[in-house]
Amino acid sequence: MAFFFNFILAHQGDSADPELLHWIKERLDGIFGPEPWVIVAIMGFAVLAIPVSVGLLYLLQANRRASAELRVDRDRLDREKAP
Amino acid sequence: MQTPATTKNPIYFGWYVCAASIFIGFVAIGARNSFGVFVVPMSDEFGWNRFTISVAAALGVLVSGLVQPFMGQVFDRTGGRKLILISLVILGGSTIMLSLTFHVLFLVFMFGIVASIAQGGPALSNTAALMSRWFKRKRATAISINSAALSLGGLVMVPFSMYLLQATNWRIAWVGLGVIVLLSLPLAYFFIHERPSQRGLYPDGEPEPLTEAGGGRNEATGPLEVETWKESFKSAPIWQMAASYCVCGATTFILSVHFIPFAIEERGISGSTAATIFGYMMGLNIIGSLGAGILADKIGGIKNWLALVYLMRGMAYILLITVDSVAGLWIFASVAGFSWVATLPLTSSLTADVYGLKALGTISGITFMFHQIGGFGSVLLAGLLFDITGSYTLPFAIVGALLFPAALSAFTIKERKYSTRYQPAVPAPAGGD
Repeated sequence: MAFFFNFILAHQGDSADPELLHWIKERLDGIFGPEPWVIVAIMGFAVLAIPVSVGLLYLLQANRRASAELRVDRDRLDREKAP
Repeated sequence: MQTPATTKNPIYFGWYVCAASIFIGFVAIGARNSFGVFVVPMSDEFGWNRFTISVAAALGVLVSGLVQPFMGQVFDRTGGRKLILISLVILGGSTIMLSLTFHVLFLVFMFGIVASIAQGGPALSNTAALMSRWFKRKRATAISINSAALSLGGLVMVPFSMYLLQATNWRIAWVGLGVIVLLSLPLAYFFIHERPSQRGLYPDGEPEPLTEAGGGRNEATGPLEVETWKESFKSAPIWQMAASYCVCGATTFILSVHFIPFAIEERGISGSTAATIFGYMMGLNIIGSLGAGILADKIGGIKNWLALVYLMRGMAYILLITVDSVAGLWIFASVAGFSWVATLPLTSSLTADVYGLKALGTISGITFMFHQIGGFGSVLLAGLLFDITGSYTLPFAIVGALLFPAALSAFTIKERKYSTRYQPAVPAPAGGD
């Protein structure tokens, strides 16, 4: 029965394997130092940067599209005005 | 439709849908997979033993597996956007509510039932169906990016939770995770749209798909395209895919649980080295998943790639059992790592290509259930056989041997006959998808 419940806990994620977590923690501690807040801040920033950058990229594209449409409209008007 | 001037350089909106679903999957899987991190502090505070807290996790696994076909059906009927938005609100809310845990029954209810049901909304079987609507030529690529992001989500969010827990306490850490889930809502609201036609677009961002003869707008339909999920189970390909997917679950779950104990006890390496090898394998699966999707779209013949992935994993299992050294484990990890998640984008994409999009959420949910059943069975079998024989060799050999018929099953799918990718195009009304 023990293996069944070990499975259940382990299945909460491959990455939640205690040995693997310990290994990841050692690597991260080696890079950023053992202060947890530093790593929380860096990882939190990295995670939240994803939606922000997607949103910004979309806005940039929307602006570019709007100006392209404006240019097309202006060209058409110019052509219509021309004798 | 967009004018040529406006379609010169813009990123196809489907890629924004893909990015949004990646982030949603990333945080949702993080909230779920982090449960293991909370086991010790919560058990310590309430004096629960492993068994007690495992009930919540066990119920969660069971509920999320069983609920998937139903969530798929809701996805197919409602279009998906509402389902994903509501699921995220409930998942974020229930994750925050876990900070108020005062009794094990509260934990069982909130994590095992509420959060686990909500998890089914943005699950990969549904987001893969969503990607299938937005992409046709690049379908496997889009799904593979999604599945790779899930792997990455686990590898990033679980250590994040661990450090958040270390910096604060388990109650604040649950709130933090819930808030992150809720932060995905704006992205979901703005970018999760059900189909390209809603934005006046065609799949893949084509200005207007051409026929082979160079004519106007055309849509190919496959001979097995279905209106309801029941119809799909009357044909062979779904059984071939579900059977091989069941073996996929069996061969990945068993390693998730038993690889590190096997490496330590039977290969005599340290826990740290075993974890390094396992971490390396998890990292490679991201590359494997992306590679499989891109290659399948570029070269074609999805079922051949699927068969190759199963074959590769089968070879890896042979190495695992026969090569009794640390080098053998590294070689195993290299071969198996590439094949770990690669089956997912290939199976999802092939399902969409053969059965169409109308019941795809439900069909994917059912095949996912087969995957989970295979996984569950293999882990139980491994535990049982380990208790009898004192070794993992026999269970690994049994599930590993199943990979060869799985490869054959995938290889014999009549993709050219049934997949829409290989059907001649027929006229269809413009603006659809």
